[in-house]
Amino acid sequence: MNQLLGKGSHTEIVSGINSSTVMWYASRATGVVALLLLTAVLLLGIGVARDKRLPGLPRFAASGLHRNVSLLATAFVAVHVVTAVADGFVKIPITAAVVPLASSYERFWLGAGAVSFDLMLAAVITSLLRRHLSRKTWRGVHLTAYLCWPVAWFHSVFASKDIQHGPLLAVGIACALAVLAAAMWRVAEAGKDVPRAERVALLMAAAHSRIHSKGSRERTFAQ
Amino acid sequence: MTAVTDSTESDAAVGLPRLLPPPQEKRARQGLEQHLARHGRLPYRDRAGTLIRDIESAGLTGRGGGAFPVHRKLQAVSDAADRYRRTPAVIANGAESEPASDKDATLLWLSPHLVLDGLQLAAEAVGADTAILYTHANRKNDVGARLREAIAQRQERGIDRVPVQLAEAPARFLAGQETALLSHLSGRAAVPTFMPPRITERGLGNAPTLVQNVETLAHLALIARRGPRWFRAVGTEQEPGSMLATVRRLDGQPKISEVPLGIPLLTLTGELRQDGAVLIGGYHGTWVTAGQAQQLTMDNASLAKAQAKVGAGIVITLPSDRCGIVETARVVRYLALESAGQCGPCLNALPRIAAALAEIAGGRFRKGTLEDVDRWSDQVAGRGACHHPDGTTRFVASALRTFAAEVALHKAGRCSAASKKPFLPVPQATARAETDWI
Repeated sequence: MNQLLGKGSHTEIVSGINSSTVMWYASRATGVVALLLLTAVLLLGIGVARDKRLPGLPRFAASGLHRNVSLLATAFVAVHVVTAVADGFVKIPITAAVVPLASSYERFWLGAGAVSFDLMLAAVITSLLRRHLSRKTWRGVHLTAYLCWPVAWFHSVFASKDIQHGPLLAVGIACALAVLAAAMWRVAEAGKDVPRAERVALLMAAAHSRIHSKGSRERTFAQ
Repeated sequence: MTAVTDSTESDAAVGLPRLLPPPQEKRARQGLEQHLARHGRLPYRDRAGTLIRDIESAGLTGRGGGAFPVHRKLQAVSDAADRYRRTPAVIANGAESEPASDKDATLLWLSPHLVLDGLQLAAEAVGADTAILYTHANRKNDVGARLREAIAQRQERGIDRVPVQLAEAPARFLAGQETALLSHLSGRAAVPTFMPPRITERGLGNAPTLVQNVETLAHLALIARRGPRWFRAVGTEQEPGSMLATVRRLDGQPKISEVPLGIPLLTLTGELRQDGAVLIGGYHGTWVTAGQAQQLTMDNASLAKAQAKVGAGIVITLPSDRCGIVETARVVRYLALESAGQCGPCLNALPRIAAALAEIAGGRFRKGTLEDVDRWSDQVAGRGACHHPDGTTRFVASALRTFAAEVALHKAGRCSAASKKPFLPVPQATARAETDWI
């Protein structure tokens, strides 16, 4: 490598990023981060749906994090799309961001990206307008997140060659395994639902038994 | 009826009681003949919209606790009916699931025809073809049989234009909440649902639906007969008219009084001890100290100073030999158990708050118990499908404020109460299965 490019300056060799490739690299990087963030959003969402707590955090932290990370993911996808369009190396029309099959470059896999971006926007917008929507409508749209993620994953892995080997491939596979495991846990957990009418009495008993048992707080008090 | 109605001669001078039978006929149930003799025939308007304008100038507000302007609800249902071309439904809400209240049951027992008049007039005003009276029919004295008899009598005489159906409310605290009521009438469990859609737009069978408290409908029937100016003859400028109040003094027996809005709170409670306390508005209401009570009048503008509301008109004086914290803890336990078990904030916070109050009441204080209650209360504020967590935490906060001295006493492992006998009425039966909600 060094010998082939030997005449260039030191910095060019190390980074490989220059004015003509900065958009390309930015698009790659934000794409990978967006995939990681979307995976986190889906895992948190599954946790929230099953009323799971994050260790060491208050109960509302999971839903708050789910909400905020999803907004962050949207921002990263937006940058990912804008930089991909702005990069001049391949011509991608801006419409390809939301209209499937609008790009002649990687027509199918970029189309998948557009589909998942649309589904993502639908989930975000209905959540922002949740006060004005019926629960049924909101939930119906929100459930399409389970479709959004796999489509986004296939777009990530197949739209470009650089995630198909090395450490990035490992990241992609790890994300898929994590989501698969969480989804299976979600299905298994749904079978263990306590009927609505019995929940309060159960939690009431739990809350009251804490008074009488020697909980961690009581030990703190004794010290 | 265990409830005793209460009225004085000074009331008669301003034309009270309006809804309940006059004092000389105390406890006499108003049959159809007495009803017609006293109030005259049912004044159908035969023109849409005129009653709504009258209700607006009368300034009638909902008497079920929300104090929402009645004309706005009527107008909303009427507009939705035009917009969606659907014939609306009207529901008289007499569920009165607040255990401390007895005014709706008393009204239905003593003056059922006034409520049924109001139901017909409201149905005419919005153009409804369905009218339902929703109540705990089997609660006391067989109100159900009495209502069925009244409905049959009216049908026979051709008074009712819209046939009235009677529906039984399950014995749950939330059964009277509008969306829970609707869910129950649609054949599901009586649990609150998320809005929107608003039930004035899409309610029973997706038709625009008007839900009004039975007392509100009785007032409406009288405004239709005597006009807005008559209605405004009592009450304040902002909150005109009279209201039914359930008053419990030291003997604990409920007394139903019809009083003008804006009367001094002390006329209902009687003289209070220096360290006494009064509960205003029921179990989603507010405790106030005797000192505050002396300054307050029974209208929302005045009660707001003590973070209280008229609500469904419940006023309870705590006897000197009972502990406000112990009583509150018992009620909060009941409220927590009455959670529908749907929404996280309610399901997770209320049992914990109830347990914390039990700790305080039982003198088993732990470091941070009070702070925990504050924090949990903050976290549920404004969340969930209904106001059950909000109302409960408001009640708890007012108790900790009003009985601060008692809390300090409990911290030291003591309690001022001489009597352990429960005072505030709390139903024993709690829901164990889905069928308890249907």
